[in-house]
Amino acid sequence: MMREQLEEIRRRAMAELADDAGEAQIDAVRVRVLGRSGELTEIMRGMREVPNAERPAIGQLINQIKGEVEARIETLSEKLKAAALSKSLNEKRLDVTLPGMRIARGHLHPITDILEKMLQIFESMGFEVAMTQDIEDDFHNFAALNFTPHHPARDMQDTFYLEGGMLLRTHTSNGQIRVMEKRRPPLAVVCPGRCYRRDDLTVRSSPMFTQIEGFMVDKRGRITMAHLKGVLTEFARAFFGTTAVRFRASYFPFTEPSAELDMHCILCDGAGCPVCKHSGWTEVLGCGMIHPNVMRAVQYDPDEYQGFAFGMGVERTGLLKLGVDDMRLFFENDLRFLSQFPALSGGVR
Amino acid sequence: MKLPLSWMRDFVSVDAPVEEISRRLSYAGLVVENVEKLTPGFAGVFAARVLNVEKHPNADRLNLCDVDAGQKGQFKVVCGAPNVKAGMMAPLALVGAQLGKQPPLEAAIIRGVRSEGMLCSERELGLSQEQAGILALGADAPLGGDVAAYLHLDDTVLDVEITPNRGDCLSVLGLAREVAALFAARLRAPRLRAAHSAGSPDGARFTVSVSIDAPDLCPRYAALAMTGIKIGPSPAWLKRRLELCGMRALNNVVDATNYVMLELGQPLHAFDFGKIAGGKIIVRRAGDTREFVTLDNLSRTLDPNDLLIADGDKPLAIAGVMGGLNSEVGDCTGTILLESAYFEPMTIARTARRLGLRSEASYRFERGVDRAGQVGALIRAAELIRRIARGREASPIADFEPRKAEPREIALDLGAMESLLGAAIPPTVARSRLKSLGAQVSTRAKGVLAVVPPSFRSDLAEQADLIEEVARLGGLEDIPALLPERVNPLAPVNREREFLKGTREVMLGCGLTEAATIAFIAPADNARFSGIQAATRPVKVTNPLSAELSELRVSLMPGLVTALRFNLNREARAFHAFEMGKTFRMDGDAATEHHHLAAVSYGAYALWAIGEHSVAAGFFSIKGILETYLEAIGISSRVAFKALESADAPFLHPGRSAIVTLDDAPIGLIGELHPAEAMRLDLNDPCAVYELDLSGLIAYGFSPRKTFQPPPKYPAIRRDLALVLDRNFPADMVVKAIRECGASLLESVEVFDVYEGTAVAAGKKSVALACRYRAKDRTLTDEEVNRIHTVLIEQARMRLGAELRQ
Repeated sequence: MMREQLEEIRRRAMAELADDAGEAQIDAVRVRVLGRSGELTEIMRGMREVPNAERPAIGQLINQIKGEVEARIETLSEKLKAAALSKSLNEKRLDVTLPGMRIARGHLHPITDILEKMLQIFESMGFEVAMTQDIEDDFHNFAALNFTPHHPARDMQDTFYLEGGMLLRTHTSNGQIRVMEKRRPPLAVVCPGRCYRRDDLTVRSSPMFTQIEGFMVDKRGRITMAHLKGVLTEFARAFFGTTAVRFRASYFPFTEPSAELDMHCILCDGAGCPVCKHSGWTEVLGCGMIHPNVMRAVQYDPDEYQGFAFGMGVERTGLLKLGVDDMRLFFENDLRFLSQFPALSGGVR
Repeated sequence: MKLPLSWMRDFVSVDAPVEEISRRLSYAGLVVENVEKLTPGFAGVFAARVLNVEKHPNADRLNLCDVDAGQKGQFKVVCGAPNVKAGMMAPLALVGAQLGKQPPLEAAIIRGVRSEGMLCSERELGLSQEQAGILALGADAPLGGDVAAYLHLDDTVLDVEITPNRGDCLSVLGLAREVAALFAARLRAPRLRAAHSAGSPDGARFTVSVSIDAPDLCPRYAALAMTGIKIGPSPAWLKRRLELCGMRALNNVVDATNYVMLELGQPLHAFDFGKIAGGKIIVRRAGDTREFVTLDNLSRTLDPNDLLIADGDKPLAIAGVMGGLNSEVGDCTGTILLESAYFEPMTIARTARRLGLRSEASYRFERGVDRAGQVGALIRAAELIRRIARGREASPIADFEPRKAEPREIALDLGAMESLLGAAIPPTVARSRLKSLGAQVSTRAKGVLAVVPPSFRSDLAEQADLIEEVARLGGLEDIPALLPERVNPLAPVNREREFLKGTREVMLGCGLTEAATIAFIAPADNARFSGIQAATRPVKVTNPLSAELSELRVSLMPGLVTALRFNLNREARAFHAFEMGKTFRMDGDAATEHHHLAAVSYGAYALWAIGEHSVAAGFFSIKGILETYLEAIGISSRVAFKALESADAPFLHPGRSAIVTLDDAPIGLIGELHPAEAMRLDLNDPCAVYELDLSGLIAYGFSPRKTFQPPPKYPAIRRDLALVLDRNFPADMVVKAIRECGASLLESVEVFDVYEGTAVAAGKKSVALACRYRAKDRTLTDEEVNRIHTVLIEQARMRLGAELRQ
């Protein structure tokens, strides 16, 4: 009798706890069957009337049904929760292709970007960086660099003079003199900085531009022209990624022998094009072995010391590297140009 | 220097193609900038002598000529040119000749007479527009020879860039010598010996006297009189060579002097001898002579140190620069004086530069001509003038050399050469390279050569110069590329560079883009943006490019606002940029330079997201950037912002600007642009800026903190208070006053809100502050903190005269 009653409770509960049972229905079943005054509790209370012999079996059955119903409710609740979560996830779905919330970060100026890359290459080769002055006297910009007062080479760079008799340096070679004056070899130094020449701001020229001067000095025989070639070849490989370079004899008052470094034209890769005047080569920098008169000007004995020096224009070299053909872009500060450059300095290539 | 290869081949024979000649010259330091290959516009035209001219039987204005074209034969030709005459040499186009784009020439019957060819004008040969008559070839034209070859029309011209040290290469002979050296070919230099000076045809002899009063500026002066001159046009081949070298033909005498200059590098000058008083040349400084009219009919103001060529009465020329109108060779000149001198490069450079007169002659003198080439050039010129202007030498060559060139012997230590170049060049190679340049080479000792450079290489002064010559002629290809040993195991770090680099990183991180602007600006901009220090005096450029660029910037601000405007004009709606660069000012009499950092911020700043409102740039956004930076470099606690007096920086908004001080010394300015300034720049929104002088900070360095503490073990307790103060009372003074109360356990005080409005009286504001209390050794209790805080409130209220806001 009681057994049938229990079976009926089980059957009904399980039928109501069907797969699609909602939260309300599940709760109703829980309360009716398992609640404090639920069906199973009521039956437990009637156990006194059950013959002793049957009691264990009935008790077992009650526990069994209780366990089954609880388990079923648990399963259904989990399922309902999962369904609810899945629904909410779907509702909170984003269009992940929309742009993110941007924290502004500025862009490096291309001159800085290029200059830093260059300096890093030289630093990794053991050069130190020295910063020197833009306002200079005749001695450090010209005389000590072996320019005689009316030397025709002074024509190559028309100079800005300032009230008070000073001038704006026409090259960073003054850095060579400034550093050597103060210190003794061995030295391996690069001097970056702004330079000034009397040229209008045009596609090809600017009255203000940036250069790197570099030099190495040590006892005679320790720093040779072969080393000059080695260092600059290595630089060209690191900076431009090319080994197609050549050294050409040239003339500068402050070096002897003097040379210019050319590399394969970036646009035509040596085949010849209008940009390189069909030569296949473009000029990268000037260099040479430091002139004995320069050594004398800084009180170094030219029989005891020797070394090399080089100088290159950052904008010019940058134009080659970036494939840009207008000097004015560097000084207009057009965001549409500047924002193409990285927001992090450093890292060669 | 333009080098026609046909002319070069007068002195050296090289079979190599022009590309190889260009390449080797370029490698050796003589860059060939351009190679121009010229082709004649005609073919089948030969030099012919007109034997006989008679009237055409059927036409008044035509002639019938017998012409002899040597091996090509004799021809009858009809010719309409007024200048045709028996004996002249002229270009004869034969049947089949190609003239320009015309069909090949055919025999023609002209007014009933058969013409077997055509005598040509310059225009018909495509040489010029000249068509008044047929082209008269020189008497030296080869009979029956190809006219195109004779006129050097089939030629290649190299444009060679000559560096300032190589004056010797400003001549065809000089470049031919280089080519000979580079190709190990023999140089056929012209042999220049004085012809017998037999005087003029009419027997007149002239004496030329030269007095050199300034031997320091003119160590050698040679001159020669020539008479019987017939001024006229030069022969076509000579004109052609001048033109190929970029010079204009004038008349036979002037052309001959220019020709010799181009060929040998020695500038010559021809005076009208009749205009030289007493035939006496005086080489002297200008001294009291103040004015002189040059050939171009301009009056020139002289400097007392300018070198003049004069006679007893008057100046005749500015030495080496330009001749005078008063002694110019003209159409009627019959006797000339040819001058060939060595002037010191410095004096010519100075005078030419000062007068802004750059002539082919001064260009060569400045770079140094052959110290021993004066007489040779005279001989060469005399020979030419005899040929083309019927001149005869009328005097011996007067050659004065008050100051002899010192013979230079330079020792070349082959060991030193190897240690400079880092390459061993065999002694025989070194020797032959130096010899090929004209140097005398002998052995001084073992491994040491004694080298006497040729007279035309004044640039070879010491051993390094000789080493360069040896390396150069090998195209530098004897030298390997090797890496040197490092001079330091670790290269020293440059603090200034690291500081600037770090500064740049912070600015980039704050969303500012780096700008670069030109240091030259207009005085008006310097006046408007007067820099950090009031009453800064800008540096003037003595020789500016223009009035708009005549001063150096005292501030980076003008450049940045110009860049802002530039971008707003080009679709930009916001602009946040900084620049690190030098500014300049006068400190007393001295121009000085200062590292500055400046920024400009306009429009939406910092955050950008769809649907979110971004912050607009203003005083506090840019102050935040500056504070971030000051904190990054670890000096926030020493920096203060003080409201500006408007006179200090008139370009800033008087109520929204501050002076930035470091330990009470001003180092910068910050603020929004003055509305008037914003209006001038046509800006609709606030534009926030700052500028900082980095000079002092660089010395301090970029090293925020040296010592560190572990994080606190016990929690803090926060108590707030709000004080009602005058509206203009600065917040930092409130914080300072509270700190000065010296409450124990007070860790920090921060302003977290400011209120102005109906809840406080007019002209007042309420400043809300958060005070944090913390003990190192225990957790504080509320009672303990309340006790301290109550005392603090009372003290702060009294110190500040403020009311407590409830």
